[in-house]
Amino acid sequence: MGGSFRSRGVPECSVTFLQALILALLQGVSELFPISSLGHTILVPALLHWTNVDRSSPTFLAFVVVLHLGTALALIVYYRARWWSIARALVASVVRGRLSQDRDERVGWLLVVGTIPVGILGVIFEQPVRALFGSPAPAAFFLAINGLVMFGGEALKRRRPGNLPIEHLTFAQSVLVGIAQSFALLPGISRSGASMVAGLLCDLDHEDAAEFSFLLATPVIFAAALLETRYLIAPGAHVVLAQAIVGGIVAAIAAYLSVAFLMRYFKSNDLRPFGWYCLIVGAVCFILSKRGLLS
Amino acid sequence: MKPLALLLAVVFFVLGILYGLGTINLFTKSGTEHAHHITHLVLCWILALLALIWYRFQSSTETGRR
Repeated sequence: MGGSFRSRGVPECSVTFLQALILALLQGVSELFPISSLGHTILVPALLHWTNVDRSSPTFLAFVVVLHLGTALALIVYYRARWWSIARALVASVVRGRLSQDRDERVGWLLVVGTIPVGILGVIFEQPVRALFGSPAPAAFFLAINGLVMFGGEALKRRRPGNLPIEHLTFAQSVLVGIAQSFALLPGISRSGASMVAGLLCDLDHEDAAEFSFLLATPVIFAAALLETRYLIAPGAHVVLAQAIVGGIVAAIAAYLSVAFLMRYFKSNDLRPFGWYCLIVGAVCFILSKRGLLS
Repeated sequence: MKPLALLLAVVFFVLGILYGLGTINLFTKSGTEHAHHITHLVLCWILALLALIWYRFQSSTETGRR
């Protein structure tokens, strides 16, 4: 697949257009569907034996940064009205110097408080966790665990059904949802899945848990991408420029359609279908990796 | 709580500078190597800003009580 590119002098670590499209689609969809984008970006190249894709090379990291920017942008555009009212309410409360009963302000501070744990844990643990678990076998194992977590969350939710609105969450509960989101540092554990399960256990319904999860994910994805923009100006990053631009657009469209679909889906459905998917794909990939069939 | 909020703001601000200068390398990939840890700097300064906002809320609450 990458032969023609290599013959034109593109480094081997680069991604081809087809790979870029597949990875972008995968990123846009799996970042928001509760099936772990990180796990999929490890497992799919391994399943397809993409030996030219070096996940640690600066060119690949530059490509990934653009995919994340595309995903974050899609989330911001989808929730643009919500983010605008939240930002205005937050600024107003800081200027006023006290909290009010405003719904957007409350949700805004819940998001700020919920983002703190993932910010701290992400900065401290991201690199060591990736170094330890960034290969197909652990990613497959954690993907299966992700499935079990969703089944567990749904079982507990059925025992104590509740449908509190987001603004009725306490700050402590928001921190818990943020901590749950941090488990997505483990490849295979889904950011949206973990935070949705935590939201469900805090008495949110599926729709509100999904919305809170997506709102909570936006600053994290955006900040993570912004902090890694240095890879875009690194020497050699230009070789993936075209792939990154196309990939970023595809990831943004895929993410927008995904969030639109999921917000409709969670009006009347639950996490179990995603649980089955993660459990089966995780188990199959784990067996394949143990048999040496994933590279 | 006001002094604690202010103390946290100062501590995080100074920590951010120390990470930026590469004086401290705690919880960084490079371990003991000298490096400018921009991500850590940004995180510390965001936490310092949040501590200042917390301080502002505390100040306003006390003024309101008076």
